[in-house]
Amino acid sequence: MTFVESLRTRTEGRRGKLALIAMFVALFLYPVILPFAVYEQGVLLLAFLMALMAVSWNIISGFAGYVSLGHSVFLGLGAYTGGLLAETYQVNPLWFMPLGGVVAFVAAALVGMVVLRTRGHAFVIITIALLLSMQVLVTNFRSITNGSNGVNVPLPFWSSDYQNMPFYYLFLVLLLVTIAFAAWIRRTKFGTGLLAIREDEDKAAAIGVNTTRYKVLAYAASAVPIGVAGVVYAYFLSFLNPIGAFALLTSVTIVLSALAGGRGTLWGPVLGGFVVTIVSEVANVYGGGSQSRLLVLGLALVLVVLFLPQGILPAVSARLARRRAAQQKVEYTDQTGVATARTSIVVTPRSAPAAERTAAPLLEIRGAAKSFGGLRAVDGVDLTVEAGSITALIGPNGSGKTTLFNLVTGAMPLGSGEIWFDGTRIDRMPPWERAHLGLGRTFQITRLFKSMTVLENVVAPLPTASWGLMGKDAVSGHEAERARELLDFVGLGRFGSQQAGALSYGQQKLVELAQVLMLEPKMILLDEPAGGINPTLINRMVEIIRDLNRQGIAFLVVEHNIPLVLDLCDPVAVLSRGKVIAQGPPSIVRADPLVLEAYLGPEWLPAEPVPGAVLDQAALSAKGS
Amino acid sequence: MTQLVQALVLGLLIGGVYALMASGLTLIFGVMNIINVAHGALLILVAFITWQIWSVTGIDPILLSVVTTPLMFGLGWLLYKGVLSRISGTSPGMSVLLTFGIAITIEGVLNVTAGNRFRSATPSYFSESFRVFGISLPKAQVFGCLAAVLVLGLLYVVLTKTWTGRAIRATAQNASGAALVGIQAAGVAALAFAIGTATTGVGGSVLSVLYPFFPASHYDWISRLLGIIVLGGMGSLVGALVGALVLGLAETLTATYGSLQWSTLIFYAVIMLVLLFRPQGLFGSRLRQDVMA
Repeated sequence: MTFVESLRTRTEGRRGKLALIAMFVALFLYPVILPFAVYEQGVLLLAFLMALMAVSWNIISGFAGYVSLGHSVFLGLGAYTGGLLAETYQVNPLWFMPLGGVVAFVAAALVGMVVLRTRGHAFVIITIALLLSMQVLVTNFRSITNGSNGVNVPLPFWSSDYQNMPFYYLFLVLLLVTIAFAAWIRRTKFGTGLLAIREDEDKAAAIGVNTTRYKVLAYAASAVPIGVAGVVYAYFLSFLNPIGAFALLTSVTIVLSALAGGRGTLWGPVLGGFVVTIVSEVANVYGGGSQSRLLVLGLALVLVVLFLPQGILPAVSARLARRRAAQQKVEYTDQTGVATARTSIVVTPRSAPAAERTAAPLLEIRGAAKSFGGLRAVDGVDLTVEAGSITALIGPNGSGKTTLFNLVTGAMPLGSGEIWFDGTRIDRMPPWERAHLGLGRTFQITRLFKSMTVLENVVAPLPTASWGLMGKDAVSGHEAERARELLDFVGLGRFGSQQAGALSYGQQKLVELAQVLMLEPKMILLDEPAGGINPTLINRMVEIIRDLNRQGIAFLVVEHNIPLVLDLCDPVAVLSRGKVIAQGPPSIVRADPLVLEAYLGPEWLPAEPVPGAVLDQAALSAKGS
Repeated sequence: MTQLVQALVLGLLIGGVYALMASGLTLIFGVMNIINVAHGALLILVAFITWQIWSVTGIDPILLSVVTTPLMFGLGWLLYKGVLSRISGTSPGMSVLLTFGIAITIEGVLNVTAGNRFRSATPSYFSESFRVFGISLPKAQVFGCLAAVLVLGLLYVVLTKTWTGRAIRATAQNASGAALVGIQAAGVAALAFAIGTATTGVGGSVLSVLYPFFPASHYDWISRLLGIIVLGGMGSLVGALVGALVLGLAETLTATYGSLQWSTLIFYAVIMLVLLFRPQGLFGSRLRQDVMA
């Protein structure tokens, strides 16, 4: 990007920011300039509330990708918390705003802890059920909630001359705070982790993201602003009943707003909230009343999903970007250009270098087994990896190598046996805890988060379970700095702001390696590091592996490129039909008749022992003892 | 004792009807990975159609399912071909939003055409009961349950004994594998969606007699049915059956020994409890997830 071009994009960004500031200043001045536009103010304040709810919904359903269809439950919870307490003690409900947020947080966290532990669809269903059961609960708990007769909230303390103006400002300020809150989340490592979960949940777990904690926290965080706003909403309505406070129609409108504006973006839900509120108000006034409003909203939702699934804002900005790209020159991104840019780095693995360590192996697999139905994919594997070694795991296709990787990293539960890593038994731990111990892996087919930038991909991993680390800035500061260093180390420093999906396959492999290094691993499992990439990049990969190994990181490598394995790795373990059939130095393993038979079939066995090869079973370290 | 037996029998009768309604939903989920949130709205739509025909012609509402079932089969086919197939291959979240939109649209249409008030079909036997060993069995519930069991049996035969059924089950278990052995995934999906929707034909006709309904009732129904399949394990037909019976029993037992208002809450409490210990539901299997790559 030339200087002029970067200046142009920067001014465009600044122009957008100026337009936003101008809009909010106009919204602040509007009641002052036109104090008697009471109706318009009323519509606008509902738009603020809707935008606020859509921005909050976006945290769980946009960032993390878990759709909630009952999000208005938190508005009702906040409203009832504030309304009931204010009625009982005859005080101003606004004092209870923080409490409204707390109630919403607790409710969401409790429900989330039950239904968000697994992937999949239970969540969306429970969100509807939660809304409806709150309706039932509030209707039936007459002694506390006064049932369907409703709650009379104290009237506003200000003079009626001010009309709804104070509410207008309250909702506007709450909206701004909520946007700032969502923007902050998006900037942190927590936010990056949420996007990672949306893109590929298993992969996120493999790089140390405690997916359960992230999802529960995101759901709870998305409830808080709505709970707070609910208290104000109760004061504004001055009367609450169960059907109105826990309305499904409100949930529909939230979903429609966020979706129409642009799910997953920061400003999309704001735009959507305004558009949907104003359009539905117009439809209400000119389109035959509230009977048809439902029909209009439903059709709008169907049409948006079918024809504008990404939303207004992303569609517009994609068009702008396309136009800009047409004027720009294509950047030069060849492999050699990449290969010259590598810098060295200190990785400081959390284990001491091999020489200083005691004799205990870093990774020890004892009798590991796993079957799928009748197929025993891994059938009693014993395997050790010494600290500081580069151990190879080879074997014919289908011999169980990748399954073994999945068992070690926790992507699949172990059938039987034990796995020990650095003195800890890990086979019952979730994947992220294994990552926190310093166990990293790459995948046979790269699994980057394709719609995130390269830098975001590398920032996302979490080396520890620390809560504080989740709140760290992912865009600038120490974490991002470290990610840039790692990208420079693999020679891809220039690609930080590119979409990960736009890189070549070989480059993606290097990014995945940088991603794993962010975990400060003691050991890395590489699944076919040289598969499908060109010789230049293979050399670079080998160079990187050696460099990291010199600094104390151990490797377990699955690879089909046998010359590469024999050159790089020592010892070599051979897996066949779910069992380790040989393990030892490369020169010995290559001559083992069992190995030759496993690879080539029995008819290819030489009649005479291969000259020079020592078929000494004792030297083969007794097959994985 | 009689009271308990009475509650249990009634629970099973209602459970049979729930099982039929939920089987269509779980079938659609199993084959297409789509949570059809519009299933409840389709039930209410059928209930309205049944009520309308019954009030004009006087034909027995439950018998009318002979008309409504093929009607809903056709509607399901059209809905899949015209709307749902357009988003196949995108994220499952989008299909939830789409069917949610369809549900709201159906509710809106009913609001505008039929009006927002309660209805209930009341054939002559509406308030009569059979008496067996001192237990009274409301005729409407017995007929409703019989119709449901009949259709469930038919569904079972179609799924296990016909080529079409085997194709549907094969696609549910392994879509790409089924495609490899010559099953057209798109056709099977449309068929499964149509069959799943056809179950709302009988379900809705029975509903019109057993429960008063109005356009917004569908929220109540869909959350019950979704609850059933979450409890049973999503995609599992046996799970849907068991979940439905649990819901039926929970309802009649809470109504007998507590108060009817709390029955839904009790049911949701049961679901949360089950999910606490078995996140995949009672009969749901955690498949070998696609972590091979």
